[in-house]
Amino acid sequence: MMTDGWSWFVIILVTLNILAMVWLLLATSKSKGADEADTTGHTWDGIKEYNNPLPRWWLWLFVITIVFSVVYLYLYPGMGSFKGSLDWTQSSQYEQEVALNRAKQDAYFAEFADLSISELAENDKAMATGRRLFLNNCATCHGSNGQGAKGFPNLRDDDWLYGDSPQTIVQTLNNGRAGLMPDLGLPNSSVAILARYVQGLAGQEVTEHVQQKGKSLFAVCTSCHGPEGKGNQALGAPNLTDNIWLYGSTAQEIEVILANGVQGNMPSFNTLLSQNEIKLLAAYVVSLGGG
Amino acid sequence: MKHETIEKNTGLMGVLIALVISVAGFAEIVPLMFQAQTTQPMEGIEPFPALQLAGRDVYVKEGCYNCHSQMVRPFVSESLRYGPPVEAGETVYGRPFQWGSKRTGPDLARVGGRYTDEWHLAHLINPRDLVPESNMPGYPWLLDKYVDGELVERKMRTLKWLGHPYSDAQIDEAASVTEGASEMEALIAYLQYLGLANNGRRQQ
Ligand code: HEC
Ligand code: HEC
Ligand code: HEC
Repeated sequence: MMTDGWSWFVIILVTLNILAMVWLLLATSKSKGADEADTTGHTWDGIKEYNNPLPRWWLWLFVITIVFSVVYLYLYPGMGSFKGSLDWTQSSQYEQEVALNRAKQDAYFAEFADLSISELAENDKAMATGRRLFLNNCATCHGSNGQGAKGFPNLRDDDWLYGDSPQTIVQTLNNGRAGLMPDLGLPNSSVAILARYVQGLAGQEVTEHVQQKGKSLFAVCTSCHGPEGKGNQALGAPNLTDNIWLYGSTAQEIEVILANGVQGNMPSFNTLLSQNEIKLLAAYVVSLGGG
Repeated sequence: MKHETIEKNTGLMGVLIALVISVAGFAEIVPLMFQAQTTQPMEGIEPFPALQLAGRDVYVKEGCYNCHSQMVRPFVSESLRYGPPVEAGETVYGRPFQWGSKRTGPDLARVGGRYTDEWHLAHLINPRDLVPESNMPGYPWLLDKYVDGELVERKMRTLKWLGHPYSDAQIDEAASVTEGASEMEALIAYLQYLGLANNGRRQQ
C-alpha cells in the first residue's frame, strides 16, 4: 500500500491538475466575438490570423472529460490510497472471474460425472473438450495429433510403455512417469552387438554371429525387457520386438541408448489440472485409438 | 498569461510543455518507484543463481523476447494455460524485466518445470522435431558456445552493488559453477527456473 506521503502527493497533483484544466477552460472560452479586429497580429502576405475561441463542440468535449475524471476518481481507485466507492480492485475482479469460470466448469463436467472413461471416449461433446485440453497441455510433447516425437511416445499406436487401460492412463497423468533405462556400463563391443541383436528382435535381418553373441549378452536386459524382449509395463520397459521405436530404429540410435542409458520423463499433472480434466484427457487418449 | 507571451518565447513554451506532459508520469509512475509492492521481492523470490543468470543473458542476447512475453495477465483464459497472474514483486530481480506484450509464442513467465530438460534441449535445437507446426527458429549453436564464468562473477558483483542480495559465497563460486557450461545448459536452467516460486503447481 502507498504511504501517506505518496498518497497526498498523488491527490494534490491530480487535484491541482484538474483545477488547472478548469481554469484553462474558463480563461480561454470567453468569446470575444469573431469581429475582424480581433486578430493575433500575425500577417503573411497580407493574410491575417484570427484569434477565435475554440469551437463549441470541442469545448464541450473538454468539459465532458473533466466531469468524467471526477466521476471516475470517485468510483475507482486513483486518488492515492482512496479505494473508490465501488471498492474495485484488479485482483478481486480476477478472483470473481476465476470463481465464475470454476462454477461453469463444474456445471459442464457434471454432465459427464456418471460416464466411465471408455464411455467418454465415445462422447463427441466430451472429446471436443478433450482435444482442446490435449492441445493446450500435451501437444507440445506428444504432437498435436498424439503422433509423438523422438523420446516422446506416440499415443495412437498399439505400443504402450505402461499399458492402455484407463486406470493406467489416469495414473500416468496424475503422477507422471520416469522410465529409466540405466547406463549398464557395457563395453563398446557389446554395445555394437546388442544394438544389432535388438534390431533382430524387431524383425530386421542380422548376422548369425550377432544372433549367438547377442543372445547371451541380452541376459542382463531380461530383468526389465523380459526374456523374449517383450518389455515390462510395470517398469515402463518397452517391448523391443514390435519394431515401434521411442528413440529411433537405426543401429546408431540404439547404440547411444545402450552406451549412455536414457530416461523419459512425463511430468505430473495433478496440480495443474482438475480431476475432471484428467478424466477427460484420459478418455481422449483412449479415443486416439491405440489398442 | 497571454497567449502571445508563450507563443513568442520558445524556452518558456518548452518548459510548460514538459510540465504538462509529465504530470501523469509524476502521478502514476514516480510513486511506484518507492512502493514496497513494486520494489520488494515477493515471498520466495530470489535473485537468479549463477547459471540461471548466465542463461538469462543468453535469452536476452538471442532475442527470445521478440516472440515471448513473461507476464501472465490477470485473465482466466491466461491462467488456465499458464498459471496465476504475474505480480510486480516477482520480477524485481529482472534487469531489465522481460514482461513484454509480443506473443508469437506462448508466455514463458511460468514455464519452469512444465517441460523436461530433454524436451527443452530437443526443442531449442529444432522446434519442429517436437512441434511440427512451430515457426520458432532453432538455436543449435548454443551447444557449442560456452559461458564465461569470470563474467558471470563480475555481473553478480555489479548486481549486488545494485541491491540484489547475493551472498559472498554465491559470488565466489559463480565462476566455478558456470565454467564449462554451454549456453544451451544455461538457457535451459534459466527456463526451468522461471516462475518456479509461484507457478501455480505449488498453489493449487
Ligand atoms: C514434457 C513433455 C510431456 C508432456 C507435456 C506430456 N507428456 Fe505424456 N509422456 C512424455 C514422456 C517423455 C513419456 C514417456 C515416459 C517414460 O518414458 O517413462 C510420456 C508418457 C505418456 C503416456 C504413457 C504412454 C505409454 O506408452 O504408456 C501417456 C498416456 C501420456 N504420456 C499422456 C499425456 C497426456 C494426456 C498429456 C497432457 C496432459 C501428456 N502426456 C503431457 C512426455 C510428456
Ligand atoms: C532397469 C531396467 C532396464 C534394463 C536392465 C534394460 N533396460 Fe532397456 N529400457 C528400459 C526402460 C524403462 C526403457 C524406456 C526408457 C524411456 O522410457 O525413456 C528402455 C529402453 C530401451 C531401448 C529403447 C527402445 C525404443 O523404443 O527406442 C532399447 C533399445 C533398450 N532399452 C535395450 C536394452 C538392452 C539391449 C538392454 C540390456 C543391455 C536393456 N535395455 C536393459 C529399462 C531397462
Ligand atoms: C519467431 C518467434 C520465436 C522466437 C524468436 C522464439 N520463439 Fe519460442 N516459441 C515460438 C512459438 C511460435 C512457439 C510455440 C510452438 C512451439 O512450441 O514450438 C514457441 C514455444 C516456445 C516454448 C514452449 C512454451 C510453451 O509453454 O509451450 C519455449 C520454452 C520457447 N519457445 C523458448 C524460446 C527461447 C528460449 C527462445 C530464444 C532462444 C525462443 N523461444 C525464441 C516462437 C518463437
